[in-house]
Amino acid sequence: MITASRVQGTDMNVNARRKRKADPVRIISFLTLVIITALMLLPLLFMVATSFKTKQEMLQYPPSLLPETLQFSNYKAIFSALNFGTLYQNSLMIGIVTVIGTLLSSSLAAYGFARFRGKGRDFWFMLLLSTMMLPYPAIMIPQFVLFSKLGWVDTFLPLIVPAFFGSAYNIFLLRQFFATLPEELFDAGRIDGCSEIGMYWKIALPLSGAALATVAIFAFIYSWNDLLTPVLYLNSSDKFTLPVGMASLTSSKFRIPPWQLLMVASVLAVLPIVALFVVAQRRFVEGIVLTGIK
Amino acid sequence: MNKMRKWVTKRAAVYGAGAVLAILPVLGGCAGGNAGDNAASGSNSNDGGEPVTITYYTIDSPDRTFVEQLIPDFEKKHPNIKVKVATAPYEQFDSKLQTMIAGGSAPDVTSHFGYGGFAEYYNKDMLLDLTDMLSEDGFKASDYNIPDSVMDIYKVNGRTYGVPVNSYVTLMLYNKDLFDKANVPYPPSDYNDKSWTFDKMVEYAKKLTILSDDPSKQQYGVDFTWAERDNKPLYFGAKTYSDDTWTNGGVPSETYFDSPETIAAYHKFYDLIFKDNVSPTAEWSKSVAGQGGDPFVTGKVAMSVGGSWILAGSNDFGFNVGVAAVPAGGNDKVRSILYVDPLFVLKDSKHPKEALQWIKYLIDTDVQKKSIELSGGNPPVNQVAAEDYYGHFNGVDAQDVKNVYQGAFAYGYESFNHLITNYSQINDLFINEMQPIENGTKSIEEVMPGIQSKMNELLQRSKK
Repeated sequence: MITASRVQGTDMNVNARRKRKADPVRIISFLTLVIITALMLLPLLFMVATSFKTKQEMLQYPPSLLPETLQFSNYKAIFSALNFGTLYQNSLMIGIVTVIGTLLSSSLAAYGFARFRGKGRDFWFMLLLSTMMLPYPAIMIPQFVLFSKLGWVDTFLPLIVPAFFGSAYNIFLLRQFFATLPEELFDAGRIDGCSEIGMYWKIALPLSGAALATVAIFAFIYSWNDLLTPVLYLNSSDKFTLPVGMASLTSSKFRIPPWQLLMVASVLAVLPIVALFVVAQRRFVEGIVLTGIK
Repeated sequence: MNKMRKWVTKRAAVYGAGAVLAILPVLGGCAGGNAGDNAASGSNSNDGGEPVTITYYTIDSPDRTFVEQLIPDFEKKHPNIKVKVATAPYEQFDSKLQTMIAGGSAPDVTSHFGYGGFAEYYNKDMLLDLTDMLSEDGFKASDYNIPDSVMDIYKVNGRTYGVPVNSYVTLMLYNKDLFDKANVPYPPSDYNDKSWTFDKMVEYAKKLTILSDDPSKQQYGVDFTWAERDNKPLYFGAKTYSDDTWTNGGVPSETYFDSPETIAAYHKFYDLIFKDNVSPTAEWSKSVAGQGGDPFVTGKVAMSVGGSWILAGSNDFGFNVGVAAVPAGGNDKVRSILYVDPLFVLKDSKHPKEALQWIKYLIDTDVQKKSIELSGGNPPVNQVAAEDYYGHFNGVDAQDVKNVYQGAFAYGYESFNHLITNYSQINDLFINEMQPIENGTKSIEEVMPGIQSKMNELLQRSKK
């Protein structure tokens, strides 16, 4: 002990000094953060734990937190209980196309609103923002009539196509971001003979990594979680999305819901969101770095 | 079952039309226009001898979507009819149906699988009168072994609006293991056993209850929370809706929710929880079984009164289970609430004749027998197929199941949620208003007058 402390004496001094500086506010706030994080993770842990339980264990009272033995078979069972692979694929496909559509359309509209001055621009922008006030149920039936007359019922089109027409919130978000880009950048572009579309594509978009990543995450999560629209438009079970399939697991009045399978589905459903966040987070940081350089 | 319910159509039709006009003003127009277009194209394809496609709309769960497996056989027998199944999860069933009708793509055949009941569909004028089509077709309920009394449930003023397909009853499930441990004899399944009374049940329940601070030892004798809250007083012979409800299209002219009889009946139920301590509180039930779950399945409740669909889950229980009659409460006629699911043809259907073929197929004896297995235990309405159903549950005595079914038909009453209009609102009202009683914060005497006056308001509104 003594030799050790002598050898590492300088280190210990540094540590001690740092510790003395840190306490007590920092320690308390750190502990609070740890506790809050643990509380936040608890439902997630319970979800993962339940996904490994047997049916009997799931019905046990009082419930156990951790399963006695890990039922990996649940992860196989979900594929027979639900058409899981197809549902997953459908949801992913719709989600990805929705993200592409939202990014393209919303950023283009936002660029216009941010960089051009024209008669009634503010009026149109206000009108656009006011569409955010409309709750979905208010437009549900007219939209259904429209899409069913187009013959789009029981296809993915009603879920995908609207994304290519922009959404008010995302346009607003991107417009605010584009408006912060310095005018000098665009002047330089203009001097170099860049077209307006070119400046949108080569200057505005690359500098907006953070904002675009945010919009992408929002659009994907919204599409990934959406239940009502797929329920309304899809009829054939091979076209269903993940939320529809998961809702049907608990939708029998007559059965004990197979919660353990639902938890398996939930665990697997969280993965793309986590993956997207990891990927988007890098873009997020990059975006900040890039705009910082300007 | 034992009561024929006749409905005076004229008044109901006026209210119904009013309701439709009030609720769906824009939608009606859209639906009309589009239905016309489609009907034209539909008849064109018919002239060419092309097969007709009908849509069957149901809940997206294995005990409902099993019909998909019947389609190939049906299409083989009816080469000119194709069947498509459209589904929605339980919670979204009603809103998708309304949207489909409004959007001009109404399904052809469906049932009240969601929250809304027959009376609601009927009063919104959504249902096709099947009477003439059935007589043209030479349809006889007896050919499908459907008792006339069951067939009569969905008749209004002598006109048929629905053909029954499944009949669920209310019964008592008991945990044999807990009975054995406490040395209590099993309750009888025979409805004619007059010794099986509510008081006897309480007596048993007391022996089967273990009150303990340790949640893993806590055990309750009986759970009698099942059935719609406004249905319950009927079981003790208290009248809650005026008699004309059953004769004028499900619109009660009066209700009696603050009458001494009704309050006394509710006392019987809530005393189980708060006085005798033999029943779980609402919080306990929720904490053991989750929202909407049934605490009986955890094995901590000895007797549970519930819909016969809980039988379908009995193979998953971690204990031995038996079925018994619902004990006699004091109403000589009514001891079991019935839930008979009919199939409807919607008014907007473009191919009602073909839709009827599909309905007839689903109630055919062989198909009903096959459906028991495919659905995992849906009770058939066809009484010959029902014989197969009684023996379907592992470890449950077939004779007991038969006894409770036949007793239920003799002492049964169709559930109010199918027969009273605007039922989803009534249901919400009861759930919200009775919350304080169930939490033990207010007495029944304090709450019931409020419910009575709110019911009056609600009925006034639905009459306008």
